[in-house]
Amino acid sequence: MNTLVRDYPAKEFFDELIASDGQPRPAARALFEHLDALDAAGLDERRQAVNAAIMTTGITFTVYSEAGNIDRAWPFDIIPRVMSKKEWTRIEAGLKQRLTALNLFINDLYNEQRIVKDGVFPLEVLKGSKNFRAQCMGMTPRFGVWAHVCGTDLVRDKDGTVYVLEDNLRVPSGVSYMLENRQLMKRLFPELFQASVILPVDDYPTRLHDTLAALSPRAGVRPVVAVLTPGIFNSAYFEHSYLAQKMGAFLVEGSDLVVQADDCVYMKTIAGLRRVDVIYRRIDDDFLDPEAFRADSALGVKGLMRAWRAGNVGIANAPGAGVADDKVVYAFIPKVIKYYLDEEPIIPNVPSYLCMYDEDRDYVLANLDKLVVKPANESGGYGMLIGPRSTVEEREQFAELIKANPRNYMAQPTLALSTAPTLVDDHMEPRHLDLRPFILQSDKLYCTTGGLTRVAMTAGSLVVNSSQGGGAKDTWIVDVDE
Amino acid sequence: MLSRVAKNLYWMSRYLERAENTARFINSTTQVLLDLPRGASFGWDVLLKVAGLDALYHKHYLAANEADIMRFLILDERNPGSIVASIHSARENTRTFREVLPMEIWERINGLYLYTRDNAARATRSRSQCYEVLSGVIERRQSVIGLLMGSMSHDLAYQFLKLGRNLERADMTTRIVDVNSAVHLPDDAAAAETARERLWMSTLNALSAYQMYRQHVGVRIDGPSVLNFLLRDPHFPRTVAHCLGEIESCLSVLVNYQVPLQIASRTWRRLEAMTLDDVSPAPLHDHLDQIQADLGELHDAISRQYFLLHEQSQEQA
Repeated sequence: MNTLVRDYPAKEFFDELIASDGQPRPAARALFEHLDALDAAGLDERRQAVNAAIMTTGITFTVYSEAGNIDRAWPFDIIPRVMSKKEWTRIEAGLKQRLTALNLFINDLYNEQRIVKDGVFPLEVLKGSKNFRAQCMGMTPRFGVWAHVCGTDLVRDKDGTVYVLEDNLRVPSGVSYMLENRQLMKRLFPELFQASVILPVDDYPTRLHDTLAALSPRAGVRPVVAVLTPGIFNSAYFEHSYLAQKMGAFLVEGSDLVVQADDCVYMKTIAGLRRVDVIYRRIDDDFLDPEAFRADSALGVKGLMRAWRAGNVGIANAPGAGVADDKVVYAFIPKVIKYYLDEEPIIPNVPSYLCMYDEDRDYVLANLDKLVVKPANESGGYGMLIGPRSTVEEREQFAELIKANPRNYMAQPTLALSTAPTLVDDHMEPRHLDLRPFILQSDKLYCTTGGLTRVAMTAGSLVVNSSQGGGAKDTWIVDVDE
Repeated sequence: MLSRVAKNLYWMSRYLERAENTARFINSTTQVLLDLPRGASFGWDVLLKVAGLDALYHKHYLAANEADIMRFLILDERNPGSIVASIHSARENTRTFREVLPMEIWERINGLYLYTRDNAARATRSRSQCYEVLSGVIERRQSVIGLLMGSMSHDLAYQFLKLGRNLERADMTTRIVDVNSAVHLPDDAAAAETARERLWMSTLNALSAYQMYRQHVGVRIDGPSVLNFLLRDPHFPRTVAHCLGEIESCLSVLVNYQVPLQIASRTWRRLEAMTLDDVSPAPLHDHLDQIQADLGELHDAISRQYFLLHEQSQEQA
């Protein structure tokens, strides 16, 4: 019997690593054999080494606060989240199916809007979408693809079913942490990688570069690719810099770019202006181009939309792609998949109630204490009501918000999120987690092997966002006989 | 190469060089103090002037005494040239262009920052701890340079690092030499003579130049020879002449180098034309001032040529 596993409570939730009989799942067996060979001191030593490595490599994220921007070390748990290759293969197919349908959907919304005319997607939802950009109507970007980089959040319920919780189609972040987590684990547990067949994750930067390079408007020229960052004070700056470095791309800020009279984008170099072919922007639509969107944006580039519409620069994700990244639109995605691909969704959505419909709204208002209520357009876990943990006052407040603007709210049953063993002092305790794989599409489709596992470091907490105390684990897809 | 990145590379390199040289400057001063003969005195005010920090210092401190000056030079972040502030700036600067450097460079710079942050307070406690901590800073900074030379393509980014390093180094060499003008020698002629020799030896030591001076110039340590060596020797890597040569070689691989190169050549000519026989405080200080002014103009020319495209857009924003 494994000593680490012995006292681990694995019954209350679905645990990713430990089955309900208290034994490690097949994909996690080799892991626990190795962890058990280390005593408590040995385990603690590794954990300290990880923390030291995080400090020297400076893997940080920025937290905004009134006291100024604080650079925090990345909270990392050394026990990986493990999944069998067999299960992953099905999930990967589901993610690719989903992104393919999402891109057909976005392109349709900005062109013929067949799905609206055919009565599958309600016009009022489209009209109420904050992320629909009228400036993009009539555009068809290369390959008809709008969302080139998608981060989809997956969760698992008590019965073991994996659901899509949300699609992040604007500027999803976290992939650099996925890559760094693996580097850390290889540095600290090389023997584990010899003992198991753990599928590698490090081809992502190359695939991202290929995905972006395919968007270049100039054939036959080595494309100049730039990562557009809001700058050093953005919480994901580390990632912007990291990806630029790994891809050999330029890391630019808005002030480094200029659109000339020829409607082409140039960057300011020591030798003068140089043409830019593809921009991987990590700035929201609103700030992208003061000429087309918010006029007060100092982060963007004046004329960028003009250059994009003229076909002189590739932008990933395309402006307006966020229209499908809306928690109300989300509820329609299973229908969207069926409509465009004539297939059943491989990964189901979490059942959702849309407050815009009278029947759903009545149900939501009557069951606020059982549901999770989400606003359509917030991210990072902000502005949500978690029913079972809310106070009467909070529920009353949300009831008013919902009645005032029903289109802006949707609700889902509170899932019993799965857990995984996480090191707390010298023993393991279950902590809730989710999984964010990253899917790429331009001329080809690609999905990361696994993704970023985010874990709520506080006992019982369901909030995994790094901005709210979440941490991360390495994610192993293991090729194992079951 | 983006203008903004070129500018940040150049400044990052200057900050690191400044931190190392400030450490050397302090070690040198400490050596001088230890070697002062009876009857000699040290002008702390002059030291601040030499460092170009007198106005800033007197804004925050009342009297110029050793403890406060050490604190000001080592860890006071209100002094942008203090060791802690310089290394902090270098690290923050490095964040803005991590993508153009080999990954390990960031780790080393971050390591240098963490070491300095955690040990700087200790350095102000006693002269022996000061020496130990500052040697640790110098060593870690040298390991950054070593890694740069051994693991980075000598591309445009490298040239801007090299430009910043050499410009700052030339300037700091003149300041370290200038520490000598802060000493009032004793009236006794024989004692003064011995003291003078010791002072110049400390200067050589501060710049790690003592051994090379002995090998290439001679055993005898006298002011004019040391000065001539530290300013005009083409081969020792911390002399003004050597740094100017490095700056010229960087410029020659960049685009549109004509104007900065002209300024560099003028600096050369003036350096060559100097008469360095008299090393008493006033003429010595004047010579070094002249070189510092020329280096300042060279910096301006480099900024105008390569960084301005970016700075203009900032002003518009």
